[in-house]
Amino acid sequence: MDLIGQFPLFYFPEYGSAWMMGVTGTIHILASHTSVGAALLFAFLAYKAYKEDRVDLYPYMKRYGMFLLIFSYVIGSITGPGIWFTATAASPRGIGALIHNFVWVWATEWVFFFYEVIGVFVLVYFMDKIDKKTHLKLTFSFALASVGTLALIIGIISFMMWPGTDVYYATGSASDAFFGTNTFPHMFLRIGFMIMLSGVIGLFISSAMKKENLSLSHELTKKMGYISMLGGFLVVFFFMWYMGTLPENAHAVFNVTKDSVIQSRIILTIVFSLYFLLAIFKPQFISKPLAGIMIFVILIGGIWPGEKLRESMRKPYVAGQYMYSNQIVSRDVDGKGIKSELPILAEKGMLKVNPFIPKNLRVITPENKLKVGKILTRIACSNCHSLEKTGKYRPLQTRMQGMDKDGIKGILYAIGAGAFPYMPTLQLPDEEYDAIAEYLESLNY
Amino acid sequence: MDASTLLALRDPAGIPFYPVVFQALYILTWALHAAFVFLSLGAMGLSIYGTFKQKIDENWKILTPHLIQTGKISVSILIVLGVAPLLFTQVIYDPNWYVANTLSGMWIFSFIYILVLGYIMYYWYYFANKKTTGGGKLIGIISFSILIVCGILMHSFAVTSIMPNDWMNMYAPNGVIDNSGWTFNIKTIRLIFLLSLSIPIVGIFLQNYSRFLSTREDFNKDFIKYTTKIGKRISIVGLLFSAVMFVTWMVQLGYIIHPVSISIIVGVLILIYMVYQNNNSYITTLVLLLVALLISGLREVIRYDIMSKLGYNVYDYPVNLEIPSLVMFLLTFLILGGFGVAWLLTMAWKVGKTKGVFDGSKDVAVTKLGNYTLGIMIIWMVVYFAWGMTILFNNIL
Repeated sequence: MDLIGQFPLFYFPEYGSAWMMGVTGTIHILASHTSVGAALLFAFLAYKAYKEDRVDLYPYMKRYGMFLLIFSYVIGSITGPGIWFTATAASPRGIGALIHNFVWVWATEWVFFFYEVIGVFVLVYFMDKIDKKTHLKLTFSFALASVGTLALIIGIISFMMWPGTDVYYATGSASDAFFGTNTFPHMFLRIGFMIMLSGVIGLFISSAMKKENLSLSHELTKKMGYISMLGGFLVVFFFMWYMGTLPENAHAVFNVTKDSVIQSRIILTIVFSLYFLLAIFKPQFISKPLAGIMIFVILIGGIWPGEKLRESMRKPYVAGQYMYSNQIVSRDVDGKGIKSELPILAEKGMLKVNPFIPKNLRVITPENKLKVGKILTRIACSNCHSLEKTGKYRPLQTRMQGMDKDGIKGILYAIGAGAFPYMPTLQLPDEEYDAIAEYLESLNY
Repeated sequence: MDASTLLALRDPAGIPFYPVVFQALYILTWALHAAFVFLSLGAMGLSIYGTFKQKIDENWKILTPHLIQTGKISVSILIVLGVAPLLFTQVIYDPNWYVANTLSGMWIFSFIYILVLGYIMYYWYYFANKKTTGGGKLIGIISFSILIVCGILMHSFAVTSIMPNDWMNMYAPNGVIDNSGWTFNIKTIRLIFLLSLSIPIVGIFLQNYSRFLSTREDFNKDFIKYTTKIGKRISIVGLLFSAVMFVTWMVQLGYIIHPVSISIIVGVLILIYMVYQNNNSYITTLVLLLVALLISGLREVIRYDIMSKLGYNVYDYPVNLEIPSLVMFLLTFLILGGFGVAWLLTMAWKVGKTKGVFDGSKDVAVTKLGNYTLGIMIIWMVVYFAWGMTILFNNIL
């Protein structure tokens, strides 16, 4: 029997399961990027405290460390595996592709992660219990370990966009997949963002210290302003390099929303530049509520749209430009012995080759046609599109409004023929297209 | 579920090394993960008891905050240790894990936020108890309950993953597809047995605790005696209860005369003897780890048997050898992990043994381990960039 390895479909109405991944991912990015940036900031402060004998800096570091423990190492360390958890429900074959290419890279990252988690407790709780020199070494090793986790995950998430060259498809080698053309620009882009985030979080903590030590609070606020400004500059600089290393389909998607994306990024850059300048020149104006609001702004205005854009630019793929978002292998990868599943789907149809189609839906009849259309639509479309009339996430409603069955079928055939670079070239037998079109028509968009 | 379906669900990329290695790594890392799960739950549960006695009993006044701290750190460690078995199970048992996850998608998504809530509340409990002796009882109980729910959910995912014959019925009962992701399964005896392990583990932890602090002059001898005494009691009661639950579970499954389950029963008997004698709790802990490994191994035997009877044998998973990243892992794990973790643990041990500030710069072992760790990390970064640049030059020029 010819079967393809599709899993049961988990469907989250109105938003789609991919949206759930986005939520967990955004929270994780805020926490994890803060933790790497803060590790670098810690090393800088500890060096300064040690060299200049500034004992007054240690309470700030302790407070920052406690915040870090709760924020990054509670939320960050849970939402990290959380992305895996949600991804396995929303995109099992996508995460499977990554794991089967990069299991040893992930295992290596785990070593650094383990060091980091024990390290952060040692770093914070032993601040008053060990000598300053040993503590300084600890902060250096902690910073290196944090950067190590980034260095390892970055190749994997860059591969999600694309392997960079065709070499991987021939060799199947993890090294060729990992070190693609956009791995390093992506890495430095994120380091810039991490430095900026550490400053943004640092401003929240320094502004909270006003009552205890006003002059130290102002001094640290200024420093955080400079650090954030440096990070922000790196983000803008490396973003240009990063964009130049993306594949054509990513640019095709980017071009659709280019103007609004650039406009919102310019506004964000101006707002944050002013905020950082305020911290540098008028530190007394940086208050705890303002700093808290700015963290929220960066989460909603910076990370969320940024991650959404990155996810959109990957379309129609979810990993390595061989796994479609709808869990279908779309090309051969000779180096791994992977075969495209598109020909068998075109020949036999989804109902025959998906192992989780119940027996009563395997053959289309007038009685079950709408039910078949429903499950086929969910399998083929719901990873990227909300199907309900009131759907929130790339809703089909806005794309198929007022169309009849023939019109919808025409679109399905065009997608299958590759008319849209950001859509999967999924060809199905006519009867399956017909069932999908009939179901979509029945929704009366 | 027939063999052709299960085999089709394997990842088409194959696996990058021999399956038995991933199986062994899974058994090892699950045992370590589970040890901290049980320690955290045990320490947390006992600390809640402590909050009720903290105001009136000097011993509990000292012990309770230490138990809370132990629970807090253990949760972090169990999370990081849990990533490893999660990774390795997805390599060789990806059909099982992904089907379970898609069937329970809503629980999977919710699990993360339930865990975040439980752990943040645990910090709240920690701060409340730090502020007021005996404080944070209610928050502690809520946090503990939430973390138990997390344990039950993980149990449900694991159980669903080894029920392949029921998957289709869970997904499409009577031919009607249910995409909602609310599948939930529970095996009561197995769950109670696993949760019950928290009791002996916190008991043995207390024996270690009293042994470790017995050299500290600032801790009262009566307190050390007391913690030794309750450690012994809790361990023995816990071991007996866990043993009964284990035997019940094994009889239920028909594995009671399996060599691994017999080894576990023998291991538990040895542990009861060692805990009773309490000659050296550190050695008892080593035996405990061995028993944890056997329990982890038994879980794998059960899963392997279920799957191989259906025609899915992990040893037949196609292998696409991947050497460079394996070498990176091994060297990082053994050298960087070895030196780095040895440094942190040596320091933690010595700080714990020292009254006041520990001067690591005058301690030869701590200084050397620290210097080596930093040196290895710098070399690691250099190799990483050199490797990446070589690959890139080769592929794009």
